[in-house]
Amino acid sequence: MKYDCIIIGAGMAGLTAAIYLQRAGKNALVLESKIHGGQIINTINIENWPGDFGVSGAELMQKIYEQAKKLGAKVEYEEVIKIIDGEEKVVKTEDGEYLADAIIIATGTNPRKMSEKQTADAGNRPISYCATCDGALYKNKPVVVVGSGNTAKHEIKYLEGICSKVYHIHHDDPIPKDAEAVFVAIGRVPATEIVKDLTELDKDGFVVSGEDCKMSCPGVFVAGDCRAKAVRQLVTASSDGAIAADGVLKYLSK
Amino acid sequence: MEILDFYADWCGPCQMMKPVMAEFENAHPEIKVTAINIDEKPELAEKYKVSGIPCVVFIKNGEEIDRIEGVTSLKKLEKRIS
Repeated sequence: MKYDCIIIGAGMAGLTAAIYLQRAGKNALVLESKIHGGQIINTINIENWPGDFGVSGAELMQKIYEQAKKLGAKVEYEEVIKIIDGEEKVVKTEDGEYLADAIIIATGTNPRKMSEKQTADAGNRPISYCATCDGALYKNKPVVVVGSGNTAKHEIKYLEGICSKVYHIHHDDPIPKDAEAVFVAIGRVPATEIVKDLTELDKDGFVVSGEDCKMSCPGVFVAGDCRAKAVRQLVTASSDGAIAADGVLKYLSK
Repeated sequence: MEILDFYADWCGPCQMMKPVMAEFENAHPEIKVTAINIDEKPELAEKYKVSGIPCVVFIKNGEEIDRIEGVTSLKKLEKRIS
């Protein structure tokens, strides 16, 4: 079976694109390597998503996922390994391959990992990228936060309410010997490995496109946080999803 | 086989896993799934060395044989029991 469009990534951008495509009468397949929702599922309280003040990321994304499914979008949980571009696009996953006329890349970002040296220094100690998820497991225990940005400050404040001691170190500093877990907050990197041979990436690895979300190869679009852009927010991810879906519709009608 | 599903009410990714685990239980009634709230049973989280949630631990004959840390899908859970 061939899909009108394969969307890679089931976060805000990907699911919005699926909703727009399904409503336009197209059949969309969303491929997701982990679980639908994207990074916002780690956020407990969202205050900048219009119309639903204080909603949790998990609740919001579950609703959007169910909306996409209700409109007929198919979601498969498989990791994409390779994309073969052509008039007919082939998307290879760990479990098989899928065909489509168009593709939307909505793979988002992943947490930046510590350097090899710092990871070796952490040894067998658990490494977490989410204090709100894992902080409670280290109640009254010493931990360390790696990072110097706003996210790191937020993680420190959160952990100080739970842990006996919260060390704060920078990227590549030695890990304190008595820290029982390492919380890493040193930014995020785009998940664009699968498209690096297909299109232009900026110096940080984000996909270069105009505001029309078009990539340099015809029929392939990019949406959400993996796109090179100035503002990465839920609303701009959703906006990208709609714009990319519109681009796909125009491409398919040619 | 038995599955221990470590979670917490305030953990967003754990909330995303709830329907996945429910679907898994429906599809595999032969496998006992026990949900463990780490706030209510911190001693079990410690016993099984849970370092992050959600965390699914696969037990066979009383021994841990596998685990998945972080969110996962029904398809991936099923791969681990096959």
